[in-house]
Amino acid sequence: MFGGVFGGGSSKPAQPMPGTMPPGQVQMDPNAQLAAAEQEMEMVTDMFARLNDLCYKKCLIQRYNDEELTKAESVCADRCVAKYFQVNREVSDKLAKMSAAKQ
Amino acid sequence: MSNPFTQPPTAEQRAAADNFMNSCAFKSVFSGIAGYGIGAVFGLVLSGIEFSSPVDTSASTKQQIKTVFKDMGKKSVSSAKNFAIMAAIYSGSECMIESYRARNDIYNSIAAGCVTGGTLAVRTGPRGMAMGCAGFAAFSAGIDWYMHKDD
Repeated sequence: MFGGVFGGGSSKPAQPMPGTMPPGQVQMDPNAQLAAAEQEMEMVTDMFARLNDLCYKKCLIQRYNDEELTKAESVCADRCVAKYFQVNREVSDKLAKMSAAKQ
Repeated sequence: MSNPFTQPPTAEQRAAADNFMNSCAFKSVFSGIAGYGIGAVFGLVLSGIEFSSPVDTSASTKQQIKTVFKDMGKKSVSSAKNFAIMAAIYSGSECMIESYRARNDIYNSIAAGCVTGGTLAVRTGPRGMAMGCAGFAAFSAGIDWYMHKDD
């Protein structure tokens, strides 16, 4: 899943939060900037798709007699997203540490 | 401050209103008000069925009617208050338990029923609370099962 980020051309040490630029990025040439933006867009889309899939499977009850989400489901969805991002952050931190240690 | 009623609500305002309507506090208060109404009607009906204290037959008819109506009103209000408290506690506790567990099944109703029955029987000591908990939990479990048996 993170192969694209670390195995790709640009060596980003840590995965940026969705919608933000990685810290310490000075003015690059427009091609590299475009490539970086594309890659980030791909990453965010991928993360969104996985998040959606996972939290839908885990949280939504398969009873469709009402179109409104019950309180349980909406609370579960909130927690699912928060947990996902937390795990994302921790895993990327660990990977960053491992790759820094290797160098 | 701009008048919030001149424009149709934005998506943010609608989401905030939705959040408020689905919050446990609002649900509890709303159930309390609905319980008050139902309890008033129930108390009125019950006061007609029940045997009321004997009326002073020496007073004029108008006086007698007034006394009877006052008695009915008192019974109705007392029943309404009890129903309101019961409904508010049940609804509030069920909402909180459901948000804590993040699950939607019958155990929320059972636990909420136990909390309500126990709270209402606080004056009768621990044994009374246990009985109240068991009784109300069974009742609310039955009602919840019946309401959701065709889902």
